[in-house]
Amino acid sequence: MEFEPKIVSFLCNWCSYTGADLAGTSRMKYASNIRVIRVMCSGRVDPTFVLKSFREGADGVLICGCHPGDCHYHEGNYKCLRRYHFLKKYMAQMGINPDRLKLAWISASEGKEFAHLADEMAETIKSLGPCKVKDEMEIFD
Amino acid sequence: MEEKRIGVYVCWCGTNIAKMVDVEAVAAKIAKLPNVVIAKDYKYMCSDPGQEMIVKDIKEHKLNRVVVSACSPRIHELTFRKALENAGLNQYMFEMANIREQVSWVHDNREEATIKALDLIKGAVNKVSYNEALDKRSVEINPATLVIGGGVTGLSAALELADAGNKVYLVEKAGNLGGHVANIDLTFPGLNSAAEVLEPLIYKVNNHPEVEVFLNTTIDEVFGYVGNFESTIKSGGKEYELKFGNIIVATGLTPFDPGKISSYNYEKLPDVITSLELEKMLKEGNVVKKDGSEPKKIAVIHCVGSRNADYHEYCSRVCCLSALKFSNQLRSALPEANLFQIYADMRAFGKGCEEFYASTSKKDVMFLMYDQQCDLPRISKAEEDAGYEMGIEFYEKLSGEDIIVPADMVVLMVAMEAHEEAKEVAHAVGISLCGNEFYIERHPKLDPVATTTDGVYIAGTCQGPKDIPDSVSQAKAAAARILASIARGTVEVEVTTAVVNEDICCGCQTCIKVCPYTAISFDEEKNVSIVNEVLCKGCGTCGSACPTGAIRARHFTDEQILSQIEGLFSKEMQEV
Repeated sequence: MEFEPKIVSFLCNWCSYTGADLAGTSRMKYASNIRVIRVMCSGRVDPTFVLKSFREGADGVLICGCHPGDCHYHEGNYKCLRRYHFLKKYMAQMGINPDRLKLAWISASEGKEFAHLADEMAETIKSLGPCKVKDEMEIFD
Repeated sequence: MEEKRIGVYVCWCGTNIAKMVDVEAVAAKIAKLPNVVIAKDYKYMCSDPGQEMIVKDIKEHKLNRVVVSACSPRIHELTFRKALENAGLNQYMFEMANIREQVSWVHDNREEATIKALDLIKGAVNKVSYNEALDKRSVEINPATLVIGGGVTGLSAALELADAGNKVYLVEKAGNLGGHVANIDLTFPGLNSAAEVLEPLIYKVNNHPEVEVFLNTTIDEVFGYVGNFESTIKSGGKEYELKFGNIIVATGLTPFDPGKISSYNYEKLPDVITSLELEKMLKEGNVVKKDGSEPKKIAVIHCVGSRNADYHEYCSRVCCLSALKFSNQLRSALPEANLFQIYADMRAFGKGCEEFYASTSKKDVMFLMYDQQCDLPRISKAEEDAGYEMGIEFYEKLSGEDIIVPADMVVLMVAMEAHEEAKEVAHAVGISLCGNEFYIERHPKLDPVATTTDGVYIAGTCQGPKDIPDSVSQAKAAAARILASIARGTVEVEVTTAVVNEDICCGCQTCIKVCPYTAISFDEEKNVSIVNEVLCKGCGTCGSACPTGAIRARHFTDEQILSQIEGLFSKEMQEV
């Protein structure tokens, strides 16, 4: 059976979640691997949430926020961006391929872009194969 | 700790969800989850019987938490929260799993969609287990309103509010009131003067004791929240500090630039003009070619920039009727001229409009149909001795022939676009744009003039193409919404703000540095951070920066989200 990754996606309420909804109202089809968690702002995405996702069995994590300058809360997306770069480095040190984490800007009008991103992310993670963090962590449980 | 008793409701949304998600199987499986007391599927959860079912179950089964798995929370979260409240349950003990916009409408494999729906509901069930009862906070409404845009929409809204005795600040970017209607000669279908509509509005607004007009003025930034907004504007070299409780955005439209369609040769051929340029000529009572002579053959091309995937897919709604109006006006002005309507589809909806189409078609006007799917008409300069200036070449759909229409003047019915500065205004007042830069309404059918930002309303063509009656209706609808809130005097606002657990706050003040609203201050005596709940907008950025977990973003706490993640991956009932 082909590997079907599970991807956790954190979407900000104002731009990205609305953009994902627009993909729906426009009936655009995309890969079903994504599981969305709504947060008010991409700035709310605590690095712990990302690590927890991998720990629980996610093969990839996709964070989406408003485009730079468009944040509903002025600058939450910039804070997210800083944490993202930090997380990428940390993931590499922990032995998780940093490509499993992606940050993208999706506005409320970018339904098509979200659908495309979801497909692209699914392809990337499929090519990386399953993330083994969960299995490896079982040893400690 | 009280026992968690969760009710889960899986909506069919008719066939919208049910055709792609096995809702019955999902409900049956979710019913077996720990703490889930009851799980049901139902045709339309948002319907009265659907909501009543929730209310009844809350009472009968002593539910203290509810999950509805249906459309996007953007559509019906508030509906179901109200249902909880009606049953005497705190409205924050509720979560939605979005299995329509983000599952059934975007996937085409039923098995995968069903698994995904199950995962999302498991996540929501986990999250709701940690939801806390929150009290609504009530704030007073400042009865003043800011209206952005002084076109027919903004003017109508301003008068509606001011006539009820409320202060209105009307801000207009241009140097005069009236917007695009000020450039129109006659309105359709009655062929009445547009000035008859507009001038009394402008006169009343300019002389109304409650309306303060600021011309040549823009809004750069708005602070505050519903009931208590404020903004500093610069107008006529002076600075004004405005305070208002609600905002109506009526920024209107920008006409499509036909230069983008090369085959029309706009600005290259002298007598290819836009519908707005013809309006100006009609208003001045002087329809002439660039060389000053009278045109003998006039063609009007429809759908310029509308209903075409290369430009705008939407219909601009007013062009067909405006084009018919032109035929009537040109027929009176130039009785001998040949008039052509080159249209894609004739859309004469609305009161008196189909009748207007029928009467116009008896006025010696030739209607020719082109096909948007094939090439657009091509306008080129005619031969020197042809006896006319330009030839319009296209495939005429009804006759099935390639034809050339002779013309001395070509009028392009340009599309309506969202205002070129729509994005800046959206940013200033905190609302969102949908696909074509028009503003997004809170609900397309049930709440068409509200936005997802409380206290900010949209009206007129900034929300989508529309004619004068529809724009005025929206203006008055938005004003009515605001008048209702002024009449109540107070409004309930979200309380999903941050809160500090003083026992574990280490006083590092990281939260103070990341807060975009300076809503957090430091108590030197206690050595802890303190959140000002009035200023906090609940973005949660502090929550993800706090090293000790002392600051909690209410309704999106760490434990809620971490538990939601666990839910997505819980192995329980993974097989379908």
